[in-house]
Amino acid sequence: MQTQKCKHQWEMVNTNPGFILTEACHKCSQVSTYFSREDNPPFEEYRDGEHFWNVMASAQSVRFDLKCKLCNTLVTFDELSSLLLCTGCKKDCDVYRLMEKYSGKRIWFYVAFGFKPYADKLMLSDEKIKILEDYYNQRRDSTNSSIKIVSFEMIDDPDSCAGEFIIDSSMLLLAPPEKK
Amino acid sequence: MKLNEIIEKLSLKVLTNLEDKDITGVYISDMLSDVMSKAGAGNIWVTIQSHKNIIAAANLIDIAAIIISQGTDIPEETIELANRYNVVLLGSDDSTFVLGGKLYQIGIA
Repeated sequence: MQTQKCKHQWEMVNTNPGFILTEACHKCSQVSTYFSREDNPPFEEYRDGEHFWNVMASAQSVRFDLKCKLCNTLVTFDELSSLLLCTGCKKDCDVYRLMEKYSGKRIWFYVAFGFKPYADKLMLSDEKIKILEDYYNQRRDSTNSSIKIVSFEMIDDPDSCAGEFIIDSSMLLLAPPEKK
Repeated sequence: MKLNEIIEKLSLKVLTNLEDKDITGVYISDMLSDVMSKAGAGNIWVTIQSHKNIIAAANLIDIAAIIISQGTDIPEETIELANRYNVVLLGSDDSTFVLGGKLYQIGIA
């Protein structure tokens, strides 16, 4: 993706609004998240193999790809669930340690999260994370501050992270139709 | 136009530390996902949202200032996070619609 010749200038393309749905299996308590472009995703319990999934939550989000304006390289970000602003909630977290290392340099740390269950889903590669970071730094057009994006895999217990997710969790929700 | 000039012309309440900046335009939205994908660096963002995750979105794309419209109550934790990440928060009792009109009237679009 990162060719030697091209100094990529990224732009966001193929933006699609949709919802990140969180489901839980009532048999094994496993939690699954996925992005849906549907207006009517399944709200009724459904069986998938050994799992019985029920929708627990939804939040509006957006899917996108990045394309280089110079060489037309297209990079998809289907593995990205959401970005989180690290607020340094745990002093023993590797992201916090890295943030401390750069303190005073006006570098803001964001964490790229994948979809659950993390062990079963494809995760963003380091190369894609770097491309995402380059894109936002190019878009910021700022010389006095920058952002750094790292993988959630740096966090021991991602579910306990108290940073700020960039998701719309209250403005527009999907909900099951009311029963008449 | 500079941010300070806009604050003065629209009588906006300054809720955080203030750093004067050049303003490149205005983006109006209450959806973080929309701002994250479409707003520009140096824009003023007008919203009724006051949850602290607006700071995460504004900081990511280097928004110059957020104007929280229609007198929405702003939690202290949102103001604290804004100060920590150098995001300027402004308040107004005007509706988003009226603010959009006033910003257009003074030459920001």
